[in-house]
Amino acid sequence: MTTTVGIRSKDGVVLAADKRASKGFFVGSKVVQKIFSLDGATAVAIAGAMSDAEYLVNLAKAERRLLALRRGYPLSVKESAKLISNIVYSSMKSYNPFYVELVVAGVDQEGAHVYTSDMSGAITSEDFMSSGSGSPIAYGVLEQGFRKEFSLDEARKLAEAAVRAAMERDPGSGNGVDVLAIPNGHSLEAN
Amino acid sequence: MATEMGRMPFFYNQEGRLVQVDYALQAVSRGSTTLGLKTKDFALLSSQVKPTRPLMEPAEKVFVVDDHIGATGSGYIGDVTTLLDQVRVAAQRHRIVYDEPIDVGTLSRNLSEYLHEFTMYAVRPFGASVLLAGIDHLGVQLIQVDPSGTTFKGSAFAIGQSADDALETIVKGYRPDISVDAAVALVTQAIEGVNGGKSVIEHGIVTANSKRFEHRQSTVG
Repeated sequence: MTTTVGIRSKDGVVLAADKRASKGFFVGSKVVQKIFSLDGATAVAIAGAMSDAEYLVNLAKAERRLLALRRGYPLSVKESAKLISNIVYSSMKSYNPFYVELVVAGVDQEGAHVYTSDMSGAITSEDFMSSGSGSPIAYGVLEQGFRKEFSLDEARKLAEAAVRAAMERDPGSGNGVDVLAIPNGHSLEAN
Repeated sequence: MATEMGRMPFFYNQEGRLVQVDYALQAVSRGSTTLGLKTKDFALLSSQVKPTRPLMEPAEKVFVVDDHIGATGSGYIGDVTTLLDQVRVAAQRHRIVYDEPIDVGTLSRNLSEYLHEFTMYAVRPFGASVLLAGIDHLGVQLIQVDPSGTTFKGSAFAIGQSADDALETIVKGYRPDISVDAAVALVTQAIEGVNGGKSVIEHGIVTANSKRFEHRQSTVG
């Protein structure tokens, strides 16, 4: 279930997700947040089991904070994505997987990045990305509309349009769109 | 009987003392002079950075534990950093379990239990005392934790070299409404007073307003 979208633009990243939590054929919640911020500059959008997602995000937050305190500077987006994928990978290998598909997006010294990882922990770096049951529909919009030279605002509009298209036809997605845009150079300190 | 006890230094001696713990406290009193001062508005941690050799960077002495808590220590610096990591992990564990920042009392209890384990068995107790300063729902907190696991709560503490003399200066100059700048000046005076002149001092402050523990430049403003 769910539709999440992540887009990289020349001046920042955008995450978008619907707000529906499904309980089988029933709408369990209409106000669920599927985008979690790890800090002011990095966030994840998660499709899959909400319990696993929330636990994973809390664990990643703690590990990131510890590493940043120990070494004195925060993690890059790539390091954050790798940290999460390592957690997901090791739990899959011990037959206790996190049922999640996630998009890690953020800005750091090197600019804007979008990474994606499935429950096996395989990560790739993408210009745009969608996951969840609505992703085939969202990809239709993204493949048509995406341009490399997009501004952050254009990326934001496309991300929202992709999720809205998926909500029209995917019964697992609906009840509104959450959008998070992180411009380049955004503070790493803010929570 | 007496000789048998001499072979078990980790056990009580005939006076009922744990000599290993006494020695650990002695190790702390050889460390650099380290002070903590608290009012209802802020808590300040200050530690003298021992004179360094030319071209060497001075060691870090005041540490951020989590957003709202800081720590410093005196004694063997390796022991201090190990204890520091223990409290940092405890703080993050608390965030995972409760989705809330840890309170200073729970954190000090965790550290105290950890230290206490090392007084029970044939191992070396930590040669370090730790000062924790932070803010939680109960207000601004200042806590000292010793190698035995003993904790003290209070408005001012001194550990390390000439701690008693330094504390005397603090006691004379302390006011419940002392300002941050005056407090920094007071602890600087206390540390320099027992170490014979100008010292490099590292400060960390948490205030009731900011609710963040942050380093502060050692120059008195």
